[in-house]
Amino acid sequence: MSAESASATQKTLADLLDFVDWSGVECLNQSTSHSLANALKQGYREDEGLNLESDADEQLLIYIPFTQVIKLHSIAINGTEEEGPKTVKLFANREHMGFSNVNDFPPSDAVVLSLDNLKGKPVVLKYVKFQNVRSLTIFVEDNQSGSEVTKIQKIVLYGTTVETTDMKGLKKIEDH
Amino acid sequence: MVLEATMICVDNSEWMRNGDYSPTRFQAQADAVNLICGAKTQSNPENTVGVLTMAGKGVRVLVTPTSDLGKILACMHGLEVGGECNLAAGIQVAQLALKHRQNKKQQQRIIVFVGSPVKYDKKVLEMIGRKLKKNSVALDIVNFGEEDEGKSEKLEALLAAVNNNDSSHIVHVPSGSNALSDVLISTPIFTGDGEGGSGFAAAAAAAAAGGVSGFDFGVDPNLDPELALALRVSMEEERARQEAAAKKAAEEASKQEKGGEQPSASQDATMTENVSAAAPGAEDKTSDLMDDENALLQQALAMSMDDPAASVVTRDTDMSEAAAEDQDLALALQLSVQEGSKDQASQTDMSQLLADQSFVSSILASLPGVDPNDPSVKDLLASMQSQSESEKKDDEDKAPKEDSK
Repeated sequence: MSAESASATQKTLADLLDFVDWSGVECLNQSTSHSLANALKQGYREDEGLNLESDADEQLLIYIPFTQVIKLHSIAINGTEEEGPKTVKLFANREHMGFSNVNDFPPSDAVVLSLDNLKGKPVVLKYVKFQNVRSLTIFVEDNQSGSEVTKIQKIVLYGTTVETTDMKGLKKIEDH
Repeated sequence: MVLEATMICVDNSEWMRNGDYSPTRFQAQADAVNLICGAKTQSNPENTVGVLTMAGKGVRVLVTPTSDLGKILACMHGLEVGGECNLAAGIQVAQLALKHRQNKKQQQRIIVFVGSPVKYDKKVLEMIGRKLKKNSVALDIVNFGEEDEGKSEKLEALLAAVNNNDSSHIVHVPSGSNALSDVLISTPIFTGDGEGGSGFAAAAAAAAAGGVSGFDFGVDPNLDPELALALRVSMEEERARQEAAAKKAAEEASKQEKGGEQPSASQDATMTENVSAAAPGAEDKTSDLMDDENALLQQALAMSMDDPAASVVTRDTDMSEAAAEDQDLALALQLSVQEGSKDQASQTDMSQLLADQSFVSSILASLPGVDPNDPSVKDLLASMQSQSESEKKDDEDKAPKEDSK
């Protein structure tokens, strides 16, 4: 069954960038000159020179709300070999987390990024946990080399929408 | 107009009993806190402010972030001085209080008053600072009171650790004659990084200055704006009349510019704004001051005529202390004038009315304390009449506008 649903979604996986609610996007501990937009926004993330960098220490807490409910299938995080993120925890539908309470809840999924992943290979997530996602919190716990600064070059979210009303364009929806 | 939730950490330790800030350090601090709360809530109505004390039996939150100014002022009242200040715990509790603010969209800010010596070492403070920065909390430090070995250094280090893009500030207030609140008004703590609270700050500054320097008529415009305005208006009207008699040509040009602006404001009882400057901020002309009686008389006449544009241009030479507010008021006045009547036609009207001697004398007779047979009054009437004639000539040259009231 999971294979079926996986193959079904393979046909319709979309870049969820269009569904990001930019007014609510937040990132804690980002450096002001290297902000989240560098990693998320369309033009900026393609630019290798523009990174999201952490500020006071190596951890980052990224909060991304969506304009509609989505299902998250996989995520691709690009970074450098040394300063790219290593342990990444994902939380679905938890609003306004802080570094202090990030370890209070079990994450919806936890990923350790390999070097391959950092080159752009998406990490497939536990799809069942991300069926009904209104907002996503990405907690970057540490980076590859343990340096003071974590740098993320690109973040791409792959998934599908749940609602049938998609005003932006025509997309195949798997549910009815 | 930054939307902000602020926690103010008050130092109520034993060190605050000292009187090197008048009346006591603690009182000066309380005044500053009240001012800050006012400024924050004024700059954005959705801002919330909370207060906690760092000394006493321990760190205690007096009021969680709220936009209710009354609650904050009430809790500042009746605070006791005693104990030792726990800076680290105070800041951490403040951070926690901010974390649980109701409106998550508000930016977080902590304002801490450090009046006693700092017993924590730099490392601890830096760690605290970094934690605040990580959670995007801004910190304002008011360093006053005890001048301890290395206190400034430690606080600067704390600021450096917290500071993200200049959103955090430190202010050192030395002891002396200046009140703590006065010193703070000019700092970025009040003005909110250059934007926002400037209106409130200007008003507060004017109030503070007013108490010291005094005003034209012994009336503080902040306390009684309408009276101050009326007095000023009458003064200027009289001056203007004199000038009109002397220099018609010059007046014509300036009349066209700003004829009825200021007088219309004097009639406008709804002008409850911070009105202290009547002049539209025009060019200055030196002129002699008429004696008060005539000036007041003019004003009374103008008001009884119920005519918005009673006279000509206003000149103001004594407005230096309230200069800052002139521009705002000039703007407000100009706006109100657009809606109200214009000067030319009403001036003509006014002049005609004034020319009617009998009408004027009847008005004067009805005024209490004015004797129509008083020679000065008679002189005034005569001068007004001659002036009204000259004004008529001027008015014919201009294109009169519709008299709308």
